Amino acid sequence: MLTFIEMEFLKLKRSNIFLLSLIGAILPPLLMFIAVFAFDEGHTFELLFSNVNMYMSALFAILLYAIMISYLFGREYNEHTLKTMLTIPVSRGKFLLSKYVMFLVWILILTVVTTLSTMVLGFVAGLDGFSLKLFIDSFAQLLFANVLLFLTFSPFVFISLFITNMVPAMVGGAGLALVNMMIYGQTWAPYVPWVCPYLIASGEIAEYSSSITLSYAVILATFAIGLVISYIYFTKTDVSL
Amino acid sequence: MVVYVIETNNLSKTYSRNKVVNSVNMHVEKGKIYGLLGKNGAGKTTTMCMLLNLTYPSGGEIFLFGKDPKRYSNEIYPKIGSIIETPGFYENLTAYENLKIIGKIRGDYNPQKIRLVLEMVNLADDKSKRFKDFSLGMKQRLGIAAAILHNPELLILDEPINGLDPFGIKEIRTLLKRLSHDFGITILISSHILSEIENLADVIGFMDNGVLIDEISRDELHDRLNKFVEFEVSDIGLALNVFKRLELRENEDYTFDNNTIRLYSHLDMRDKFNALFVKAGIDVRKVNLCEENLEEFFTRFVSNN
Repeated sequence: MLTFIEMEFLKLKRSNIFLLSLIGAILPPLLMFIAVFAFDEGHTFELLFSNVNMYMSALFAILLYAIMISYLFGREYNEHTLKTMLTIPVSRGKFLLSKYVMFLVWILILTVVTTLSTMVLGFVAGLDGFSLKLFIDSFAQLLFANVLLFLTFSPFVFISLFITNMVPAMVGGAGLALVNMMIYGQTWAPYVPWVCPYLIASGEIAEYSSSITLSYAVILATFAIGLVISYIYFTKTDVSL
Repeated sequence: MVVYVIETNNLSKTYSRNKVVNSVNMHVEKGKIYGLLGKNGAGKTTTMCMLLNLTYPSGGEIFLFGKDPKRYSNEIYPKIGSIIETPGFYENLTAYENLKIIGKIRGDYNPQKIRLVLEMVNLADDKSKRFKDFSLGMKQRLGIAAAILHNPELLILDEPINGLDPFGIKEIRTLLKRLSHDFGITILISSHILSEIENLADVIGFMDNGVLIDEISRDELHDRLNKFVEFEVSDIGLALNVFKRLELRENEDYTFDNNTIRLYSHLDMRDKFNALFVKAGIDVRKVNLCEENLEEFFTRFVSNN
């Protein structure tokens, strides 16, 4: 599996998408950095980290991850490399699993980039209240939210295998991000797979009269459904040339 | 005893109601070059994809190296190198990097071996060029490099000379012949370019409309090619009268076109026919003993079947 991950990194060499994803990970901290100067709201490091985590995991990440998944899983179809890889030979299940793991690793990298850039921009803005504990807590919160989000993105894997073009992923990701904005604050938001990760990670779910267990169940069910249908589709259908 | 590296029994593939491969019984002998010949859409690529487990058969059996590839896939497929249609590689990477990925995943990554195969296919000088900037011929050559990187025992090559220039075709032909004759690699190669198959293959499988019509060895093929004598004469009318007097039948024993007569029977009597023409006052400009080419044979063979 390590070799697969190493090779997935090699595949990203000179890749514009990887660079764009890094920019995407820096974008929420950058916008919040601008907001520090645009709005006088008594900004502190704590508020900055909190806002970045919310905008990242409840909004930007949805679009970003949809694009990443589409690229990661769809490129083998678009660049016709699947027939080359599978005839090495590579087990289809192992190949799919390595993509899932790579997606998780990519998310971890972006989480680190987001948190580090937030810290740097906070210092540049001259904010008060930084502590190592705040930094670690904020990173842990974002990481937890993003790992839960990772689980909810397995249905997108199926969509990327089925429709290999990146445009539907971009449109779908943007649409889902908007839906997230609309749903956020509704009583049933904890039961929507792409909203509840942030609510759970930030602790905001306590403000809703809902069961956190049920939210976890929704996330796990979404993951299981996406995993199973993507596995069945990938292993049972002919490789398109 | 003949050892078959590839053997299929009634191999079939159906998409919706369209049977694109219909009960194919293929026999590829160890160490031979087997040319699969057929028009575009004859079912060659689908057959190869089924052999490589890229496409699942709708019916029939496949045996590779005498074993069922479903049960022994880990043992069988590492012994195979392949190209299916235009080779696919990662566009942002160089030839070396692409082969490195393949080598690493296969577990036999060897930088020297990669450099060697890149030299063999004349890609060693394009070290920093990315795959997306490759010409079609370069892509094809990289496909061949990837296919032979792990010293396979069987090569399955679908239209490998597509996009190559005449020099490239000659190089690849020489390479494939060398791999077969010097290293004993069995090669299944498909093409719609008849001359290429004729130049390369020891055995030719003729495929049309999903059906493998026949498998013919090169020697057998030459026996089955129609032979004829071509006379180019000054007066076609007088020449035809000579044939009629000898009770030769048009379309069966001979055909004619402008000032040329093609004689399909009594070929050993061509000197006597020539003497009769001269005696009748006909100038005979050319007498050629000809053999039907593969293209003519293929057309006749497919239409007869």
